[in-house]
Amino acid sequence: MNNVHRQTATQLRQKTEGLIARFLKGKEPDFLMQHARLLDDYFRQAFETSIVGPRMDIRKNPYAIIALGGYGREEQCIHSDVDLLFLFKKKVPRKAENLIQEIIYPLWDIGLDVGYATRSLNECLALAGKDYEVLTPMLDARFVCGWSLIYANLLDELREKIIVKKSPNIINWLVEHNELRHAHFGDSAYLLEPNLKEGQGGLRDYHTMLWIARIAFNAKQFRDLEYLGLLSHEEFQTLIRSIAFIWKVRNRIHHICGRKCDQLHFENQVKLARSLNYKKNNGQEPVERFMGELHGRMEALKQQHLVFLHELGYEKRRKRKRKSQKKSAVDGLEVIKWGMLNFVGPEAIIKNPQLLMKIFEESARLKIPLSAEAKRLVKEFSHLVNKIYRTSEVVVKSFERILVAPVPKFNVLNEMLNTGFLEKFIPEFRGVRNRIQYDEYHLYPVDKHLLRSVQTVKKFGTARDSSLEPLCEKIYRNLKRKKLLLWAALLHDIGKGESVEDHSAKGAEIVKNILTRKGLKPADIETVIFLVQEHLLLIKTATRRDIHDEETAISCARRIKEIERLKMLYLLTIADSIATGPMAWNDWTATLLRDFFLKTLNVLEKGELATTGAVEVAEQKKKEAIRSARNPREKKKIEALLGVMSPRYLLYMPAPEIRKHIKLYNDLSSSNSDFIWQIKHTSDANTRSVTVCAQDRPGLISKIAGVFTLNNIDILDVQVFTWRNNIALDIFKVKPPPDPILEDEKWNRTARNLGAALSNELDLTAALKKKVRVYRNAKAGLDKKPHQVTVDNTSSSFFTIIEVFTYDFPGLLFSVADALYRFDLNIWVAKIATKADQVVDVFYVRDVNEQKVDLPDQVANIKAAIMERLPTSRMNRVTEEI
Amino acid sequence: MKKIEAIIKPFKLDDVKEALNKIGIQGMTVSEVKGYGRQKGHKEIYRGAEYAVDFIPKIKIEIVIEADRADQVVESIREAANTGKIGDGKIFVIPVEQALRVRTGETGADAI
Repeated sequence: MNNVHRQTATQLRQKTEGLIARFLKGKEPDFLMQHARLLDDYFRQAFETSIVGPRMDIRKNPYAIIALGGYGREEQCIHSDVDLLFLFKKKVPRKAENLIQEIIYPLWDIGLDVGYATRSLNECLALAGKDYEVLTPMLDARFVCGWSLIYANLLDELREKIIVKKSPNIINWLVEHNELRHAHFGDSAYLLEPNLKEGQGGLRDYHTMLWIARIAFNAKQFRDLEYLGLLSHEEFQTLIRSIAFIWKVRNRIHHICGRKCDQLHFENQVKLARSLNYKKNNGQEPVERFMGELHGRMEALKQQHLVFLHELGYEKRRKRKRKSQKKSAVDGLEVIKWGMLNFVGPEAIIKNPQLLMKIFEESARLKIPLSAEAKRLVKEFSHLVNKIYRTSEVVVKSFERILVAPVPKFNVLNEMLNTGFLEKFIPEFRGVRNRIQYDEYHLYPVDKHLLRSVQTVKKFGTARDSSLEPLCEKIYRNLKRKKLLLWAALLHDIGKGESVEDHSAKGAEIVKNILTRKGLKPADIETVIFLVQEHLLLIKTATRRDIHDEETAISCARRIKEIERLKMLYLLTIADSIATGPMAWNDWTATLLRDFFLKTLNVLEKGELATTGAVEVAEQKKKEAIRSARNPREKKKIEALLGVMSPRYLLYMPAPEIRKHIKLYNDLSSSNSDFIWQIKHTSDANTRSVTVCAQDRPGLISKIAGVFTLNNIDILDVQVFTWRNNIALDIFKVKPPPDPILEDEKWNRTARNLGAALSNELDLTAALKKKVRVYRNAKAGLDKKPHQVTVDNTSSSFFTIIEVFTYDFPGLLFSVADALYRFDLNIWVAKIATKADQVVDVFYVRDVNEQKVDLPDQVANIKAAIMERLPTSRMNRVTEEI
Repeated sequence: MKKIEAIIKPFKLDDVKEALNKIGIQGMTVSEVKGYGRQKGHKEIYRGAEYAVDFIPKIKIEIVIEADRADQVVESIREAANTGKIGDGKIFVIPVEQALRVRTGETGADAI
């Protein structure tokens, strides 16, 4: 091997290392070009000092060394490939192999990744004509050394024989490839770890523009895109800055990885941010600011190249007609070629600035995009958006129509965001522009996420609904004020623009300002504020609390208060999750949320427990109970107890009664008995109220009822409550024993009976057998209304509700309660009311596993068992299920 | 070595994680699963349409631990995940034949 070449290669490496070192210190503004030049120097020297070269008669078979691809464009990053073509005029001679060894091998030795092709001119043309993957690098061909004429030949023939003839095909191929590439790299994985070359807004977007310009317009350099009028000066400048930034990052990542690398993996993102000297600011970590800027730049490149393709009519070519059928009805706007919307002229905007908003409205209405010219004009005239404009009723109404427009093919709000117009109209958007949240959960910067949320909401109820949630369609379609939900979707994370602990609360504040200025009705503003403030409520509650506990649904229902608001909040939660990323929404989460939503909805629909009134009443009673405390220790005990009292109990029990029950409970705790009761005369001398406080257990009600019946105490009304610490409070209204003189004696005996029944010493069923039979038969033969037993499993998500309609007879409560007991059912809440001799018994029950009883045979058996205990009558028995 | 597999209620995950951290367990695998046992799903009805939850969302935790610590881990999980109500879940202990750390190739106790 030629030692000279080895030396030259070594020199190349030294010079390159020096160049890179200076570059990393920021001293080489033209690094990419200088790096390419160093390689050129090597090849030229190698060529001159070649031993094999002179042995191949260059006059007979001229050849040249030509740079292709990135090297051809003089865009050589630190570890970019070197792409070479050894071009021969005639057939490739066998000695060419030796030439390659001589020149290329030393480069491999110093670790450079050199790819090369050795072809004759004809071979080149043949290949390029067939395989466009071979053609595109050649579009960037640049002469390095050798016979320059052969290079000129290549370019001419390429143009004449291939490009001119096949230009539409080639461009079509490029555009299709582009679409595939974008689709592939639009995947969520690539959003978190962008690919600087192939990703959406990556360098390939720029290459594609350049290649198309070369093919269609014979452009020589990138600058020509401006000269040819394909880009405005400003657009070109923005593009150059974006590309320069991406190269800057690409070089850094090459340096950090020590090899060619285009994908920004998570681990490297933090290193890059540090290497590029990003600092923490406004609550954002360096990596977030870095990724935010990168995102912005790539987005700019992506948008510009899409506009480029669209303007030239290259996008979805087959589907678009040059002359569109659609027309705009708005004065000052027109539909131009390729079906795009534009202003008739800048004067139209000056005359009527509302057109700036109107054009987006028309775009949504006609479902066609703005032309590049229109977007430029929007940007240029955005300065017309002042305070008056932002609060003008006409403009606001126009915006709201855009907000609620059903899903168009073009995301109009996205265009508004990209032109900067949205930020002008709602300045608070500035704070969330490109704002990245650095974790694997949030895929999109906040501004994009908000727009995606809006799009997701609009998709509910269409064929493109990705929510996995069949309920969404029904609920969304029946919403009365869709507009408010969409405002909330648009603004729900606006609080993230400031570094605060609670972005929901901050957001609510900001939203209040925005919507007040926009002139929305106060009631509407309240609703949107509520949605923004509570947009995390449902998902937080569903994942952090036991959704199978009625208390959870009740507390949530009380916070939300209105059914319409709950429905909107549910849809907002789903849209927010979907628009966050795939980790935030899947079938598992959907199931959990839906279940919780339906339970909460049930509570609100049944009303009683969750109305504003209910909340106030309960709070009031709690306060009163606490006030009755005589010292701090007692206060603590009362507060603890209030925490375990069930919601129904607090709602229906008067405050003085609550205090008495607290005392009863304390007495029970300090005594050793199974139960404790308080017997009082009521205002009506003929009745007594008996309040029993006991540890709940299966069969408690039936035993108390049985013992009363055994002692001839008539039960008129009963209320059963169970606290969450398993304490039962059973309040009976009874007719006292017939003999008033021996009443106390009677009660004592009854108490002893109860004690015995509870410790299973007394068999009530046996003791009552005779009595109950006598009573039942006594009523037989009379004309009575039929009994009714209903088992309701829909009204409550947490209990089975059994209702018994019958007429009174002694031992009724015992019979029914005993029937339930024998089915191993626990009674949690009950209300028994007697009017004349009509009785309605309502039992909220659960089985021994605290589950509802809803299997069809279970239900049938229970109904039958209860019916059996009721007296027979001449009328037909009627059973009904809700 | 033993593998502990625990199925628990979703809202108990933080409690269990904290309890395990307290006894020095620093690693675990968590997955979202669905299932049922005696706690069955019940149907909800919305506008006449039934929405049955046949499989109830749960969380599965998997930990591989030295055999002599298994009991301690099981008890920690049980205590933290317990609510006393149906559907609290189950814990299984399974023998592990071998374990290996990908980064270094260490095996056995050094790998867990």
